[in-house]
Amino acid sequence: MKKATLAASLMVIAIAVGLMGSPVMAAEVSQGKCIQYDEATHKLTIEAYDTQFSKEFPYGQSTGATEIFDVSTAAIGIHPEPGDILRLAWVEKDSVRSGLKVMNVSKQDLRKK
Amino acid sequence: MRGIFNRCRGVLAALWVMLPAVAQASGEAAGNIVVVADTRRVTGVMHYFADLYNSDILMFAIWTVVLTVAMGCTLGFLMDFIMSRTGLDLKSRKIVEH
Amino acid sequence: MDASWLYMYMPIAGVDIFWPGLVLIGYSVGVIGGFFGMGGAWMVTPGLNILGFPMAFAIGTDIAHIAGKSMISTIRHSKFGNVDYKLGFVMVVGTMVGIECGAQLVMYLERIGRIGPVVRWVYVVFLLLIAVMVFSDYAKAVKKKKQGIADGEKGTEGFTWYKTLHKINIPPMMHFKASGIYCSAWLPMVVSFITGVLAGFLGIGGGLLRMPALIYFIGVPTHVAVGTDLFEVMISGLYGAFTYTLKGRIELVAVFVMLTGAAIGAQIGTVATKYAKGYGIRLAFGSAVLCCMISIILKQFKFQTSAAVLILGTIGIICIYIMVIMFRGAAQELREKKNREQVTVRV
Repeated sequence: MKKATLAASLMVIAIAVGLMGSPVMAAEVSQGKCIQYDEATHKLTIEAYDTQFSKEFPYGQSTGATEIFDVSTAAIGIHPEPGDILRLAWVEKDSVRSGLKVMNVSKQDLRKK
Repeated sequence: MRGIFNRCRGVLAALWVMLPAVAQASGEAAGNIVVVADTRRVTGVMHYFADLYNSDILMFAIWTVVLTVAMGCTLGFLMDFIMSRTGLDLKSRKIVEH
Repeated sequence: MDASWLYMYMPIAGVDIFWPGLVLIGYSVGVIGGFFGMGGAWMVTPGLNILGFPMAFAIGTDIAHIAGKSMISTIRHSKFGNVDYKLGFVMVVGTMVGIECGAQLVMYLERIGRIGPVVRWVYVVFLLLIAVMVFSDYAKAVKKKKQGIADGEKGTEGFTWYKTLHKINIPPMMHFKASGIYCSAWLPMVVSFITGVLAGFLGIGGGLLRMPALIYFIGVPTHVAVGTDLFEVMISGLYGAFTYTLKGRIELVAVFVMLTGAAIGAQIGTVATKYAKGYGIRLAFGSAVLCCMISIILKQFKFQTSAAVLILGTIGIICIYIMVIMFRGAAQELREKKNREQVTVRV
């Protein structure tokens, strides 16, 4: 039995090392207020927020900059509407910010669930 | 005997309670829930896993299972080792299961 | 006073969690589960939800910690004792399909925004039934003691529902040698499916239901049922952890914090069983279940703080109670051992 446990442990370590070594596509995260969501062109424009969270600004404060994402292949949560606070995970492909996931932070407001 | 009866009734009662709520709820607007981990707020290992969660959920799932198993095994061995050093007789106790 | 250091940011669920509460829940579920021998996962999902985790995350995190904990108990037993592997593997099918159905139901409820209340009310019913079961067992034991009947071997005497169920002959019929039964493969599959749904939906191991079902509906001998159940708990935990992670409803940090607490707590809990006497402790367990149920109701009606104080307070007190039993007993045992050794040396 000890041998089997040892073998199992070694296997787990081997898998862990293998996983560690595998390349991970690092995704960036942006959060901000939705300005426009064009469903025809799959373009999502947000007003970016920073990470200065406080009671008055639970989602951060506006940096004034706008960011445009291509969300044609992204998994989109609750339908984004102008004014919603969104959080996106994205990667840069050929100088286009391609969205992976779009979370509707303000509408989901997980805390209340 | 009654204990068993209660246990079985538990399943039925749970389903019974659940059904009307589900039926009532199905009329409401549905919306997918997508979660994006805020990697801007974390660093180090936490950042690595939060990033993996965002970019490759399958890899994250495999990691979770492997790490949970590894941690369970490690803790199991460690605790057995520590308890065997306390000098208590742990062999004669009744085995209690889930 | 700035209490922000007491809160830890959970990157995936995106909530700040009172981490001492998390440690206490993990530790208590270990102590209480180890002591009473009935999982203890029933307090984790409500506990995590009350601490602030969204319900789906609470369920996913609970089920992943069960996977880790079942590894620990497997290591402790070093082997699966009496497992009917054939039965186990047939049941794995039902368990996995069941867990997936439970998890899908959770995701559906999340989409329509009703998950919190529905899961909470199902938990209230579930915990009420556990409490009734515990108290009626206690009452029965007290009655027996008064009548002077010794507590005999807990058995299946007079309980032969499985004989009727074995008559169902929908193919494939299977012979499970280790359990010594011959029945339709659908019987264990249906049983494991139902327990799987409940496990996947509530984020529990399901042993509470699976054990009696194995004994009374399938006719598995008690000692084989114990081992087979342990095996199923491990499978259901691992599959549940995988599927809930794939659905993105798990908080890895919380799983590890709780697992560490549970590993330490389980040792204290199981050792304490050695020194505990009498049925009184069952009352404490029943009360804990009831308090847990009340705190879920409080949470449902938005009394966040009272709910958190009640659940953490209850499990904290029970933990201390069990720890006192354990340390007193252990100290006495070590004292006696020392005395014996001294006597032997003198002789």
